[in-house]
Amino acid sequence: MKKILWKRPGFWISWASIAGLIAVFAFGFSTDPKKVPSPLIGKSAPDFVVRQLDGNQEIRLSQIKTPVVLNFWASWCVECRGEAHVLEAFHQKQKTSDKPLTVLGISIQDSEENARAFARQFGKTYFLALDDPSGSIAMDYGIYGVPETFFIDAEGNIRHKQIGGVTATLLNQQKEILFSL
Amino acid sequence: MSDLGTIALMCSLALSLYGTAVPHLGVRSNNWNLVRSVQHASILSFLLITLASAVLLEALVSNDFSIQYVWGHSSRDLPLFYKITSFWGGLEGSLLFWVLVQSFFIMIVAFRYQYTNREIIPYVLATLNGIMSFLLVLLIVWSNPLESQAVIPQDGRGLNPLLQHPAMAIHPPSLYLGFIGFSIPFAFAMGGMMRGILDNEWVLTTRRWTLLSWYFLSAGLILGGQWAYEELGWGGFWAWDPVENAALMPWLTGTAFLHSVMIQEKRNMLKIWNIVLIILTYGLTIIGTFLTRSGIINSVHSFTQSDIGPAFLVFLAIILVLAFGLLFKRIQMLESEHRMESVLCRENAFLAQNVLFVSIAFTVLLGTTFPLLAEAVRGTKLSIQAPFFNTVTAPMGYALLLLMGVGTLIPWRRTSMETLKKNFAWPFLLAFPVTALIAYGLQDQLWSWGGYIIFWLSFFVFATMVNELFRLVRIRSSQSENSATLAFLQVIRRNYRRYGGILIHFGAVLIFLGIAGKFFSLERDLTLIKDQPQTIGSYQLIFRGVREFPVENATHRAANVEVLDHNGTRLQFLNPAKSFYPTQPQPLTEVGLRRSFWEDLYLIFSSENGESGESVTLRVFINPLVGWAWMALPVFTLGIAICFLYRPGRLVARETILKERFKAAEQTMMTS
Repeated sequence: MKKILWKRPGFWISWASIAGLIAVFAFGFSTDPKKVPSPLIGKSAPDFVVRQLDGNQEIRLSQIKTPVVLNFWASWCVECRGEAHVLEAFHQKQKTSDKPLTVLGISIQDSEENARAFARQFGKTYFLALDDPSGSIAMDYGIYGVPETFFIDAEGNIRHKQIGGVTATLLNQQKEILFSL
Repeated sequence: MSDLGTIALMCSLALSLYGTAVPHLGVRSNNWNLVRSVQHASILSFLLITLASAVLLEALVSNDFSIQYVWGHSSRDLPLFYKITSFWGGLEGSLLFWVLVQSFFIMIVAFRYQYTNREIIPYVLATLNGIMSFLLVLLIVWSNPLESQAVIPQDGRGLNPLLQHPAMAIHPPSLYLGFIGFSIPFAFAMGGMMRGILDNEWVLTTRRWTLLSWYFLSAGLILGGQWAYEELGWGGFWAWDPVENAALMPWLTGTAFLHSVMIQEKRNMLKIWNIVLIILTYGLTIIGTFLTRSGIINSVHSFTQSDIGPAFLVFLAIILVLAFGLLFKRIQMLESEHRMESVLCRENAFLAQNVLFVSIAFTVLLGTTFPLLAEAVRGTKLSIQAPFFNTVTAPMGYALLLLMGVGTLIPWRRTSMETLKKNFAWPFLLAFPVTALIAYGLQDQLWSWGGYIIFWLSFFVFATMVNELFRLVRIRSSQSENSATLAFLQVIRRNYRRYGGILIHFGAVLIFLGIAGKFFSLERDLTLIKDQPQTIGSYQLIFRGVREFPVENATHRAANVEVLDHNGTRLQFLNPAKSFYPTQPQPLTEVGLRRSFWEDLYLIFSSENGESGESVTLRVFINPLVGWAWMALPVFTLGIAICFLYRPGRLVARETILKERFKAAEQTMMTS
């Protein structure tokens, strides 16, 4: 029994998939994956209230009087492990600094247990919190992936956004910029 | 010198274009001498590309920085070994390596199958030469490794230190061999469809090519994992990075293909499906290369990017359109006469396995390209990271592991519940107490469902294999009154192909166990004060001081750590370090690694605290079973070697007859 070619479902599915794949790839040339523009730079940082991961202290972003390093992370994220120690060391340095910054870490797409275990493993002592289950903070900040770090000045304006792990050099540089404003 | 190499490449391109067009002419005019000429062209082409490769190699070894590629990927202080491996350390060089191997394979195909596959070989050669022409155009126009520069620098920029690792000598070539190898079954499938011969010839003929390609791809992936584990310093071996996914996708469909061609061989079914699978597999090798080289997708470690992307995309589009076009042209000839006879049969186990492999490949492709898709459709940037891949692929992975136990043991065509019981009852039951025992042994660790599911399944699969072997040996020795050892050897000999396959499955179980081990890995940041012991797991670590010493072209600054077991007996000294390369601004991590049968102790030097060198912070991992995954490689090697020895009887008979016939015909032609 002969079946007409274009009556086969596979015929159209195959051609549509090929066309779709090629079109998506072709589109890829028009964008630069490393460039993730943030419309938030220069604007005031979206406010939020979070509860501490270990403890009951609550914190509201707009009530922090110092500049803030706001780091988005997750326990499953490989690059976050690389920067964990850098952030913690930076936080420790703030205790003795005459111009202290606040380091704030928000874990997204994560479970409370895993986030806690991660914080313990890496000896994180700065303020850590979990994004709410619907991920509304990550949404407000337009998080593209983890880790991402926002540098917020004392007036609550976002000055810089870093995609990928941070280095000690970058943190110090950005701190200088935040205090020179 | 470099001009000589470029000219050689251009001549080779001319020969490949000749090889693409002439076989068609030869067949049309019924002139076998034209087809013959393509054989000779393939030898010449291979020699020319060898010449071009020799020019590049010579330039690398002799520090000829007038060649851009040598300047960009090597330096005077680079050890000779890595000067040689930097041949494939960058995009341009690796493409030349690709072309070199491809031309070698074409030469083999041109001669090996001239008599045995005479009907389709002209079309196969035309397809392979078409692929070759395209690669050569890419090489010459967009990424010529022999391009020279006017100003000759004093020294090169050096090879990326991450690539200075012994695994890098074998891992990329191994992957390429796998990628390129799949072009052979692909070309035979295309040749068969062009000629309109759609029996099982192409499947049987290319069986060994498929096995070898699969092996090299697997070896490449395992070595890549090992490299990531030892060199990238985050304690794991797989991160679902687009570059990794690129190599995994063709492996997944290739593995499905490897299995489903057996159904075509045994039962004459799934003919269309097999052609689809080989098109997908070959297409995915091109997609993978495209994704990693075009720079359209964000990756933590895509090492080289260039403007080769659009050309590669055109190549991909041509391949997919031609291949599927041919398939639909011939689809009616491919419909199979056989139907499944029962739900419980090996065919269905294979089919389920196929569906799972292809689903995983699809998931990985979707996850890897989804950021592009989302941006194209919605204009939003997002990224898909490890949790998506882990969550979606884990259950499919478990199901595959289960099928690995079931598939090899249920008979073809149909089976009964009784047979199932006989084969699976005690492995099924025994797997529970064994898993419980492992759980008891690991009780102080984190609870992980995934880990225990893999333990249960792994033991189940392992036990079914042992059970089956025991059963057959017992039957055999009672029938022949031979000793058990002799009976064992006889059982293996009678169907060694099958036991090669089972051995490979055993290797796959080892990989699964390595993955399960990661579920139970321990990870801590430890601050060690000089000469004060600290306990972690069953080890005691004592920091003895910071040392600095040269290693090849780098300087290592290492924490000297004494490792003792829980009784206080010294096991060894480990030196986790930061390495400083003269050409690199940032230090790299050198892992301090102690391997043992059950677990790895894995140390990373995080920081020195204070100026006096009295205390250091280390990141410590204890990774159970990870080393087992690497053991899969020798097991695969043995298993593939066994399968490779086997040749289907039908194929041998057919090839002998055809060879004699054509040789005799040629003799008469020459004498007359």
